[in-house]
Amino acid sequence: MRDKALRWRWELFLAVVLVTVVVVNVNISEFYFGEQNFINMFQLSIEKLIVVVIMTFVIINGEIDLSVASVMAFSACVLAALHQAGSVPFELAVAIALLAGAFAGLLQGAFVAFMGLPSLVVTLAGLIGFRGAGRILVEDNSIGDFPEWFETLGQEPLIGRFSFALIFFVVLILVAGIVLHRTAFGRSVFVIGNNANVARYSGVNVARDKLMIMTASGFFAGLAGVLFASRLGSVRGDLALGFELDIITMVLLGGVSIFGGSGTIVGVALSILIVLNIRNGLGLANIDQNTQTGVIGVLLILSVLVPNLAARIAGSWRAPKAGERAPPGDSADPRPRQTLTQEER
Amino acid sequence: MNRYIGWIVTALVALSFVAAGCGDDEEEPADGGGAAQENGGGQDGPVKFTTGEEFKSVFIPKQTGIAVFDQANEGAQEAAGELQVDQAEFLGPSSPDACVNGQIDTVTNATTQGAKGIMISNCAGDQIEPAVKQAADSGAAVVSWDSPVPSGEGESLFVAQVDFDETGTVMADLALDILGEEGGEYAILSAAPDAANQNAWIKAHKEAIKDPKYENLKLVDTVYGNDDSEKSYDEALALVDKHPNLKLIMAPTTVGIAAAGKAMTDEGLCDKVKVSGLGLPEEMKEYTLSGCAPKFALWSFKDLGYLAFYAAYGIGTGQIEAAEGTQFEAGRLGEYTIEKDPTRDNGLRILMGPFTVYDKSNVEEG
Repeated sequence: MRDKALRWRWELFLAVVLVTVVVVNVNISEFYFGEQNFINMFQLSIEKLIVVVIMTFVIINGEIDLSVASVMAFSACVLAALHQAGSVPFELAVAIALLAGAFAGLLQGAFVAFMGLPSLVVTLAGLIGFRGAGRILVEDNSIGDFPEWFETLGQEPLIGRFSFALIFFVVLILVAGIVLHRTAFGRSVFVIGNNANVARYSGVNVARDKLMIMTASGFFAGLAGVLFASRLGSVRGDLALGFELDIITMVLLGGVSIFGGSGTIVGVALSILIVLNIRNGLGLANIDQNTQTGVIGVLLILSVLVPNLAARIAGSWRAPKAGERAPPGDSADPRPRQTLTQEER
Repeated sequence: MNRYIGWIVTALVALSFVAAGCGDDEEEPADGGGAAQENGGGQDGPVKFTTGEEFKSVFIPKQTGIAVFDQANEGAQEAAGELQVDQAEFLGPSSPDACVNGQIDTVTNATTQGAKGIMISNCAGDQIEPAVKQAADSGAAVVSWDSPVPSGEGESLFVAQVDFDETGTVMADLALDILGEEGGEYAILSAAPDAANQNAWIKAHKEAIKDPKYENLKLVDTVYGNDDSEKSYDEALALVDKHPNLKLIMAPTTVGIAAAGKAMTDEGLCDKVKVSGLGLPEEMKEYTLSGCAPKFALWSFKDLGYLAFYAAYGIGTGQIEAAEGTQFEAGRLGEYTIEKDPTRDNGLRILMGPFTVYDKSNVEEG
């Protein structure tokens, strides 16, 4: 029972933060509360959000993928280079670009899953390597003039006022929630993240699952890169530069443990809403972007501090009760608090 | 456990009220606001703008926290003061990495806020296009300054600082002024070998010195300091070693000229080799006053921002149309005519020009 309450406590905290942010936004800008603004809010970051969903799996699985932004750029650059060369139909170029993303993920996943290399190192290499490969493909050019349908896909609404990418994201996050929390695969993601050895001994195919998740990470990053190209209408080598940190921030703020093994899609969804609303509200209040980044940084620190502090406080309040049975003076012993801290994690 | 949640909720709610309180005094002062257009219609000479019309605007640099963009913003604020309208919000990317998204966010937010003027030094290339188109569709004047929207789409016009050809001549005149009629050997210290604007200027300069007026100027070398202070410093000293008769180093880059000035000063070579080119007054003050870099040139970023604001105000309030041949008066800078931009396939521009030449007499004001 207590576990369950604990599991949702973070989401409750995020919900409160979100409500607060919305209340503040309504008060600081008369332009905030409007349908078009809400759509813009998502639309301006939609590619990041798609990657956030898959990054949630990667981190719960006990890994990290630092290469996502570079893979976004790599896929987009593959598309742009093929388009410029003009040797294949554009539709085929899109397919190749998506495969390039999946391949990038597969390659990195193989190093992690079969050779047991730390994903931090492998994907750091990927971050540098795939960005470099992308830049080689497009050099210093800005490649645009994509077919009409492709730019329409990124820039115009598909159904009602919602763009394709936005609808795709909503479907993706719903499916992700079901897969992560309601399927055997989802359970094995948690088990591996908690303790890969235990997972291995209990018959989970750890290598296969890790490979699948890393490949999916590459594929969705590639897809996000292609969608970004369609929204911007042109591709440069610096596409999505630095996005990996924003993406990982949103996942961690959502309560996903950086050590793997815990987290919820609901938490991540709330975290996405919080970050988007903070950026949008501060932006509409004409507050500069350094401050926006600073506010989100503070939130991220709080997201680590608050659960820890809460656990410590809870520990020290409960200590006297435990002390009733313990010998005098033992309540000053820090151990019970430590145990509790770990339990809370 | 519920106790803590209770606390947090209380604290946050309290906080939200504080923030709400802060936001309340944001009301815009009511503006008289009837669109007075006596001057707008006909094309009889340059349009002089009616002041005080409702004009909300945003002034977007490539990156915040850069001296020249702050100067441009000062110019824009000066123009806002003269036109008796709200100052432009000065917002933009906080780092070069954040350029594309930062500028798109700022442009989109300005559109949401119903801004009438968006003045931007574009760092996002064509990727800014969908955002500025959206802004233009909602009725904003999008005026680029310093760096245009390459395709010209969605942009009303580009306020160009100087003509690239003119830069070549200005460099030649600086060399002639410093070396005098008898002329002598000089060398160019550029930025990176593939820097597009520097290469265009050097090419224009080589073209310019074919004029018999400059026949005694002997360009002996061109080297590249990559806009890196240290490399530029070393390259400047290497030039002196390589060419014993060198009398002048011409650096068409603000990094290069400052590094060359420092190199000559440090090595006590200033009597023999002078420095000139394109430089920032605040960085060059020391060398100009010491006589090491007696003269150099740059366009005024302050004027650039000032002119961009005037143009955006005129177009955004509907007093002029962004069309070829339209003339308007931009306060202390005088009259300007909108023309086709010869450097792009599509797009209009006004050419600010001319260069400001700095020497002992004005370097401290710059």
